[in-house]
Amino acid sequence: MSTVPSELAVETEPKGVLPTGSAPTPARRVISTLRKSPAVVFSVCVIVFIVLLAVFAPVLAAITGWDPYEFDPTAIDSDLGGVPIGPFGGISSSHWLGVEPGNGRDILVRIAYGARVSLMIAVSATLITTTFGVVLGMVAGFFGGLADQIISRVMDFLMAFPSLIFMIALLSALPAGNRPALLVLVLSIFGWPYTARVIRGQAMSLRNSEFVEAARASGARPVKIVFREVLPNLRGTIIVLATLAVPSYIGTEAGLSFLGVGVMPPTPSWGQMISTAVGWYAVDPMFFLIPGTFLFLTVFAFTVLGDNLRRVLDAGDAA
Amino acid sequence: MSLTAPRTISIPVAGSTLLEVDHLTVTFPTSSGPVEVVKDASFRVESGDTLGIVGESGSGKSMTSLAIMGLLPRGGTATGSIRLNGHELLGRSDREMRRVRGDKVAMVFQDPLSSLNPYYTVGLQIEEAYRAHNGGSRRDARRVTIEALERVRIADASRRVDHYPHQFSGGMRQRIMIAMALCLEPDLLIADEPTTALDVTVQAQILELLADLQRETGTGMIFITHDLAVVSQVAQDVLVMKDGEQVEAGTAEQVFSNPRAAYTRALLAALPRIDDPFDELKGTSR
Amino acid sequence: MAITILRRLLAAVGVLLLISLFTFMIFFWLSPDPAVQICGKTCTPERIDQIRSQLGLDLPFWQQYWQFLSGIFTGRTYGEGAAAITCAAPCLGFSFQTNESVTDMIVARMPVSVTLAVGAAALWLLAGIGGGLLSAVKQGTGWDRAVMTTALAGISLPNYFVALLLQYLLVVQLRWLPFPQSVTFTEDPLLWFQSYLMPWLVLAFGYAAMYSRIVRTNVIDTLGQNFMRTAKAKGLDAPVVLRRHALRPSLTPVVTLFGMDFAGLLGGALITETVFGLNGVGKLTADSIAKNDQPVIMGVTLLAAALVVVANILVDVTYTYLDPRVRVKSA
Repeated sequence: MSTVPSELAVETEPKGVLPTGSAPTPARRVISTLRKSPAVVFSVCVIVFIVLLAVFAPVLAAITGWDPYEFDPTAIDSDLGGVPIGPFGGISSSHWLGVEPGNGRDILVRIAYGARVSLMIAVSATLITTTFGVVLGMVAGFFGGLADQIISRVMDFLMAFPSLIFMIALLSALPAGNRPALLVLVLSIFGWPYTARVIRGQAMSLRNSEFVEAARASGARPVKIVFREVLPNLRGTIIVLATLAVPSYIGTEAGLSFLGVGVMPPTPSWGQMISTAVGWYAVDPMFFLIPGTFLFLTVFAFTVLGDNLRRVLDAGDAA
Repeated sequence: MSLTAPRTISIPVAGSTLLEVDHLTVTFPTSSGPVEVVKDASFRVESGDTLGIVGESGSGKSMTSLAIMGLLPRGGTATGSIRLNGHELLGRSDREMRRVRGDKVAMVFQDPLSSLNPYYTVGLQIEEAYRAHNGGSRRDARRVTIEALERVRIADASRRVDHYPHQFSGGMRQRIMIAMALCLEPDLLIADEPTTALDVTVQAQILELLADLQRETGTGMIFITHDLAVVSQVAQDVLVMKDGEQVEAGTAEQVFSNPRAAYTRALLAALPRIDDPFDELKGTSR
Repeated sequence: MAITILRRLLAAVGVLLLISLFTFMIFFWLSPDPAVQICGKTCTPERIDQIRSQLGLDLPFWQQYWQFLSGIFTGRTYGEGAAAITCAAPCLGFSFQTNESVTDMIVARMPVSVTLAVGAAALWLLAGIGGGLLSAVKQGTGWDRAVMTTALAGISLPNYFVALLLQYLLVVQLRWLPFPQSVTFTEDPLLWFQSYLMPWLVLAFGYAAMYSRIVRTNVIDTLGQNFMRTAKAKGLDAPVVLRRHALRPSLTPVVTLFGMDFAGLLGGALITETVFGLNGVGKLTADSIAKNDQPVIMGVTLLAAALVVVANILVDVTYTYLDPRVRVKSA
């Protein structure tokens, strides 16, 4: 299982870029480079599809006529212990991706609602860890001294933690309550140091760069230097780190839900669906194949996009 | 400013001709078609003599030396002719070139720290060069290594041989690189900006060391630099390169007193000269 | 050197204390009352009080924490007089569910986890380093693309999904392997191997994927170093150049990574053991979570933390020996 990102080290050595005739804006150049890669185009399509699925989950429920919590006893064979009726896990004109064995809930609608939960948790955790990671990393890297000492110690401590086991312990002890919010909290606590570590390193090297020296010599206040001079230079790194954080949080959330400490039933979640499918995998393989494929494609798409962004932004930032 | 130069310049024969390079062109493929980084270079090196190749970065001087070594970066191709002791080097298999490298032609690079592997002792790195060509026991190789270190004037060589590169200063590291090159007694030594990364005082010591060693061994040398002042100290013959083209060639005396190309004159004009205040005037008035 | 290690050890003890304190706090304040849980369905308030006092649950936080902590080093005794139960050091308490000693439970399940971990580690090192090297040396070719695409899939596939997929294909559909069973090596070597094969593969896949990506980057980095040019200029054979000069700088950082990942396997093996029904420490944890068996969860958490902290020190010391720039002070 992918836990918190462990290989997000972003190389920052400047690479020479051949000067081109006209100078398009960096964002446009990045997009035009990425558009040439079929892998990136595929990934973006997958991400857009998953996001649409999540956003329009209620619409989908209305179209198919199935609520995510609604049992359909007519779609399962109670004599055979609740195996879906029909081929491929009960795929039919009424249930497009079949039904869950045992209770006949519609898999497609539950996948769509599961995407909602999954993306919401991952994106919220990414926003929080990126904000904290960037701010604390910049403070530590740019100002150094005591602030750096404290922040670095806390980061070392959190990163030396067996985070998965501890997340499990923490989540199993916490009362049921609002599980998605608790997941975001726990993911954020253990996730921010991975962003902060990279940002700290870059802020440290930027601290001694000529344009920062120039700003300092012209009498700009440190806070202003951080936001005007340092932050814009970290833009590429932040985008890459955030893009790669999303799949790692999606994976971790699914894993925790799989283990029964994440999103609790009846709220649908991909990891939890696969967990339920363990008992059915021999007789109804579609039940684990469908959520597993959605989970894999989502994580894969974000990772491919992040990898390619890193490649392109690295080359571009040095120019 | 005209950059055209005579295509072939014969340099007066002093000893026997060690290296003959004729019409050397080095090409790299790029997304916008092939680019010639060295265009039709021709020169000679006599044994015991030093040829200085001068040019700014990107002038093709380093690519020329890598072409001689057969070590062009991936994608690069060399055409023309490179003859060492009358034997053609271009078009040889990598296997054959390996026997030439180190043994016949050795090279000293610009940055002595990154040119040595940080994970191995300097002794081991010199020994392996020796044993790759001469075989023999480790004991022999070690003896040769310590001798080589003593020749480049590293004090306490028998102890220092077991030290790692990071335990030496910049000048010392360059001495080690030179020892590595010389332990195989090559016919030709290519020194690619060997003093650029060093302090001025250390630079003078290294130049002196190279000159002494050359006197002792009679090795031919190609000395690559961007610094005309350094060339004037070490080279008998000079080649000036710009944008891959050879703009000037001749004996050091000719080039310094009577430069033909405007680019050479500009380079000379930029040199601080306190010995002959009229030199500059002469250079520009022509 | 000795002072450095001593300082690291002290820091490690500090980290472990902090982790134990956090873990203890979480269960002390956040979790439902264990006494109620132990007591079961037919329960009187008197009985609950009795359990509380026997387990020391009626004491203030710091005293309970101290009892727990000292129990690890000196053992502890629950209750008084004839009803007293002693728990030998290292004492992590007793399971709420089975009343067994947590220490004994963990020790009994260690062999399975170690077997799983060692086999998987061997596999992932082999595949990860091999794949990474192949990819780097054949950079830009079909080999490179094939390895890197597999690696990308490997880091994106959740291992429980891979586990189900393998089990469905190899056991249910193709019948190449029997259903995994808990046998020891001495009972039936073949069945033992067949039972561990899938868990090893599943656990190794993700790590192998990650390692091949890292090894590839490291090797390509190293190949671009100036000392590689020096090695070639000396006239060394290409294989020697690669083996002697490129491999060591590229693989030394992997040692650090491997030490930490191996120590962290308790977490990684949790899912694999659960899916394949291997009765190791990971499955013990998962089962305890399901039953909210706090002493066991706490024991495993502390063990996992201790492993990571100890590995951290070992890795640092090893690294010092592997990298001369750290080992030998510069002149």
